[in-house]
Amino acid sequence: MLALASLIPLAAFGGLVAYLLVQHQRESLSEAAQSRALTFLTAVDSELDSETSALRALAAVPSLSDGDLAYFRRIAADVLKSQPNWLRITVSSPAGAIVLSVPETTRAASGRAELEGGLAGTVTAAPLPVGDVSFDPDFSRWVFPVHVPVRRGGNLNYVLSATVAAAAMNDIIAAQRLPGDWGAVIIDRNNRFVARNWDAEKFIGQLASPSLRAALAKSPHGWFQGRTVEGKEVYSPYWRSEKTGWAVSMGYPTSAVGAEASRVAWLLGVGLLLALAVALLLARMISGRIAEPIASLAGATDAIARGVAPELAKRTDIEEVRKLEGAMLSAAEAVRERKTLLEREKHALESADRAKDEFLAMLSHELRNPLAALTSAAHVLKIADPASRAASEARRVVERQTKQMTRLVGDLLDISRITLGRLTLDLDRLDLGEAVARLVNTWNASGRFERHRVTLDTKPAWVDADRARIEQIAANLLDNALKFTPSGKAITIGVGVEGGEAVLRVADEGAGIAPGDAERVFELFVSGDRAGAGLGIGLALVKRLAELHGGSVSVQSAGTGAGTVFVVRLPAAAAPANVDAAPLARRAIASRAVLIVEDNDDARRMLEAALALEGHVVRSAANGKSGLALADQTRPDVALIDIGLPDIDGYEVARHLRAKHNGRRISLVAVTGFGQPEDQQRAIDAGFDAHIVKPVNPERLKQVLAELA
Amino acid sequence: MIIIVDDDADQRLALKLGLELSGYPVREAANGAEALDLQREHASRFLITDIFMPESDGFETIAAFRREFPHTKIIAVSGGGMRAKHDYLASARLIGVDATLQKPFDVDELLRMLRSMETGRP
Repeated sequence: MLALASLIPLAAFGGLVAYLLVQHQRESLSEAAQSRALTFLTAVDSELDSETSALRALAAVPSLSDGDLAYFRRIAADVLKSQPNWLRITVSSPAGAIVLSVPETTRAASGRAELEGGLAGTVTAAPLPVGDVSFDPDFSRWVFPVHVPVRRGGNLNYVLSATVAAAAMNDIIAAQRLPGDWGAVIIDRNNRFVARNWDAEKFIGQLASPSLRAALAKSPHGWFQGRTVEGKEVYSPYWRSEKTGWAVSMGYPTSAVGAEASRVAWLLGVGLLLALAVALLLARMISGRIAEPIASLAGATDAIARGVAPELAKRTDIEEVRKLEGAMLSAAEAVRERKTLLEREKHALESADRAKDEFLAMLSHELRNPLAALTSAAHVLKIADPASRAASEARRVVERQTKQMTRLVGDLLDISRITLGRLTLDLDRLDLGEAVARLVNTWNASGRFERHRVTLDTKPAWVDADRARIEQIAANLLDNALKFTPSGKAITIGVGVEGGEAVLRVADEGAGIAPGDAERVFELFVSGDRAGAGLGIGLALVKRLAELHGGSVSVQSAGTGAGTVFVVRLPAAAAPANVDAAPLARRAIASRAVLIVEDNDDARRMLEAALALEGHVVRSAANGKSGLALADQTRPDVALIDIGLPDIDGYEVARHLRAKHNGRRISLVAVTGFGQPEDQQRAIDAGFDAHIVKPVNPERLKQVLAELA
Repeated sequence: MIIIVDDDADQRLALKLGLELSGYPVREAANGAEALDLQREHASRFLITDIFMPESDGFETIAAFRREFPHTKIIAVSGGGMRAKHDYLASARLIGVDATLQKPFDVDELLRMLRSMETGRP
């Protein structure tokens, strides 16, 4: 009896397997179809993007805001000629009133752009503002508008629009190379056809089929089985664009779905029916106490297929049935997990794909720029006298740009090393404040902060860290701040200890981050959406390096335009008991406070760079008096003084310094263009310890500083 | 006289050195506004401008020069940008630049371009 009863669970299980198999077949078909729809949508978005690109260039013509409309009209007429699909260019006020139209047509003369309500809202809300399809009586054609905002000083002055022939979109459908019996449509935000490969003339401007509209109302993308407007039975993947609000859909005859799926379904269906018949027979034969739980299990298969947890109302005392119940519950769980996992993976893949395209475009930009400088420098080196100033400057360009490219490639390699878990840290007890200050000084000396107000406030903050990686963290944060902060604005760098953590804070008055995007900035390949934005590697690297050190990085911004603060926190370590102990002692002696007094900008910058690279803390002044004032404030160990200064000469600066700092040892080095013995003697007499002849050789400078130590 | 507009100091410097060696005096600007100031001070015959600068859009610079200094010859250069499909140079041609160059470019090619613009022959 029980042996016979075990057939029933078998039948039920057979039914479940059949259902899942058919489901799986449908799922893989739907995935393939949907990815095809996404490709199609991407082509549509690209086309609309390139239509907007020309409009964007036109929007930059300043005469628009200056009121020189005659000039603007001329340029617009030229642009119109160059765009085969454009019928008309209009300039409207944000409210929608037409200010100018090229060519002048009756529809335009009626004074209002045929555009949905608040034009200002449309143009600023959508990433790619595209309007809806409508019939244009002036051209007797179906058209749609694309818009671009014209801003001056942050305000929306005008909206620039182009009227584009809807027929332009037919080419995109043709380019999809669909199988003959497939249909494809592009619809606007109102679900009206913009383009269609079946019976285009008859349906353009008409509403899409009720089944497509219903599907779109439910979810922005997916697939369904339904009827086209002409009544054909089709399977349809569809996808609505986040950028434009337009959507695409494809339809292919249900008969084409493949005999395979229906045959499997049919075979399994027959099997299931047979099993069920046997089950029914048995159910009659054996007592109702088995029938009831089995009925409940059969109901559960539905729930499993829908991916929700089945409810099993009746408990049974038959061991086999109970086991089956358990098995079905875990099967249901597995189906549900697999479904969410698939959805999540699909989503991740899509956004990774988009990010990859943008990354490759940016990478080519980031590589082309240093290459441009290198190509020009190579040209100079080819034709210039190797001893000339031009050649030496070109060599420096090569040096800097190769360094920059090396850093870029290094960052790329590091990201992949970290991702693969192959990056190891070379830990050392070091002062975060000193490491950051050193980097800031080097960048300052090389002129990278010229266009910003940069302030640095560091306190000792000891950490166990890899010095090179700490510099990488700070460099990437500074790089980011420079990139997103306009000229003249402030960048504030601070290091200190807060609650057992060493904290590096980089605050800028730059572009800021929109609410909700804050955590995304640390994702790989995610970068600001603006000109000059980078590869989206730097901040991802900062986050991973900070985490490798057992620390963290966070970002705060009050919103777009409100500046940004990045905070890196690392576990603090105790300060070394004796800071003078080796090997720190060597570092401490090697790094000295150096004052430069030099009026020639190039010479001063060169000295700053050479000294900062050696790890010295450098301050500089452009004339004698400010040099003396700076010496009072900062009490340098060494002063490099140019003799030919504009206000008081170098000899006098030296005498003042000697007199004032009599009790304290300050080393004075004269920097002059004269190398005769009597010049040297005169410098010694004025109180200088050493004498260097211009142009200064960095090796000689290093040697003199070492001798004075 | 030539004005070079690029936000990257090294690119400006290297190009400036190259052009100076061929006898063209060069002035540098880091953005469009600086270039306009230089041009108002003393008009240059050529403008070489990058299109993808962080602070000022190259398009605006080009359009402003076109209007205020219609006789200045404009060469637009670009290294591409965020959107793979976006052809910045094609857009620049639309608003009336005289020539375009894709970065990195050969300085000799630029020199040929300048010479043909000077003589008015292609």
